[in-house]
Amino acid sequence: MRTFSLALPILALAACTAFAETLKVNGSTTVNLPVAEAAEILRAEQKLDIQVDTQGGSSGGISMLGDGLVQVGMASKPVSDDDRARYPTVKFNEIHIGEDAVALIVSRDVWDGGVHALTRQQIKDIYESRITNWKDVGGKPQRIAFFNKEPGRGTWEVFAHWTYGSPKDAPQVSFPEVGGNEETRNKVAGTRGALSQLSSSWADGKNVFALGIKLDDGTVIEPTSENISTKKYPLSRPLFLLTNGEPRGVAKPLIEFVLSERGQELIKKHGYLRLKDLK
Amino acid sequence: MTRALSWFFSLIALVGIAGVVGLFAWQSVPVWQQEGWGYLTGVKWFFRQHQFGALPMIYGSVAVAAVALLLAAPIGFGAAIFTAEYLPRRLRLALKILIELLAGVPSVVYGLLGILLLRDWVYDAFARFDPLSGDTLLTAGALLAVMVLPTIVTLSDDALRGVSSAQRQTARSLGLTRAETIFSVSLPQAKAGLGAALLLAFGRALGETIAVFLVVGRQDNHLPASLFSLRPLLESGQTLTSKLGGSETNIAYGEPKHWAAMAGLGLILLVMTGVVTLLGTGFGRRSDA
Repeated sequence: MRTFSLALPILALAACTAFAETLKVNGSTTVNLPVAEAAEILRAEQKLDIQVDTQGGSSGGISMLGDGLVQVGMASKPVSDDDRARYPTVKFNEIHIGEDAVALIVSRDVWDGGVHALTRQQIKDIYESRITNWKDVGGKPQRIAFFNKEPGRGTWEVFAHWTYGSPKDAPQVSFPEVGGNEETRNKVAGTRGALSQLSSSWADGKNVFALGIKLDDGTVIEPTSENISTKKYPLSRPLFLLTNGEPRGVAKPLIEFVLSERGQELIKKHGYLRLKDLK
Repeated sequence: MTRALSWFFSLIALVGIAGVVGLFAWQSVPVWQQEGWGYLTGVKWFFRQHQFGALPMIYGSVAVAAVALLLAAPIGFGAAIFTAEYLPRRLRLALKILIELLAGVPSVVYGLLGILLLRDWVYDAFARFDPLSGDTLLTAGALLAVMVLPTIVTLSDDALRGVSSAQRQTARSLGLTRAETIFSVSLPQAKAGLGAALLLAFGRALGETIAVFLVVGRQDNHLPASLFSLRPLLESGQTLTSKLGGSETNIAYGEPKHWAAMAGLGLILLVMTGVVTLLGTGFGRRSDA
């Protein structure tokens, strides 16, 4: 009797592990936000077993998919030819699930003071404290209150990538730091002369204003959905889920969910552009 | 039996403390090896370059705690004199319960109040001095002042009540007024206890995290040009606690040097609050004797 009562749950457990397939997902922290939430919903509603992890960011996602350690990778950059060459037997399948665009946002007084766009050089000068007053970039005299996104934020990486080519090449600076999107928006809205980086969908044009990027020839590119989707606006990056070949097993419902209306709402909720915003 | 048990439990507490200090010390070994004493005196913290200097954060912690004490001490002592010397017993107890309730308000609530009221107030009230934003060391210090006030009031009140009424009566019968009695008998007699109240409040201010995190600005590597000017208090800064409460702790995990540097900050904080609290309790003891 006793052995039986012990054996039963063990048997049941064994049966579960045999039938339920654990889907392992790994990669970019940026993509992780909506995907982890999607996984949570699928776990609750369809009893799917999905583990989402963020070891090594996008690169970690690509290499772990290449090594077969996970079935789905998350990346906020396309798979490079180098990566494909490193894993010749793996058929990287990039599934575009949204876009992350970063706007440089300013407070109302700066916007009203006439600063509507900056060049990359001006942004560098501000970031490296060579320019500390708005009057040097065409605005009213007012010290620039720059709030830097704290380390580890995807937003900061997009910014550093565009400004300096790579986050590793960005100079070390010490500005007051901000974390999440809400905090950034509120602090910029409530501070005179404020400037910060923010996911573009959060720039509402009422409290905080998104600057355009002025190119060398003088044209100004605004972070509109159109400019983002046509890649004219440079501070953006695609968000991908990666599979080896066509999605199979539990990967299939996960990807279908992320591409569905509800999944795309999660993309929007975390401050990114949905696929339909890109059209 | 009781004696053996109390020895046993005291020993557990002691082992616990030693264990925690030991763990942090052990975890932070790599950073001490790399930076030596420069870890304490270094002024630059750039984790991507593996450069770790904790001085600006030590300064930030001490500065906000000192501001808190400067603001809270006069009010706290005043309130304690009122409750201990003037109020009838029953009212005094009721008021004390209220004040101790204040001490129990979760710190994040104070932090939100700080965002709601204090940040904009500091930003506007000191607009003349052109602060870059409302997140300043002064904002954090003022918020901490509100938070440590109950500690100061209730401990000072205890200290004042500890002065025997026989002494007060003697003073009064010698013809001293009530105010004179307070200033020449009660306060001098309770001196040690009042000092202890300040030190314990200082310890609490040093260790406070979330409320400070929300309003201090979290700006690394910011040391004032001159220690004897008030201007730096209107700038953003970083405290040991706001650094530890931030995103860097997660980034550091898994990277030995960086992690050691963060653990080192924990050790510094632990030692600072520990010393202050020990001094505080030591002070209090003497007044009881």
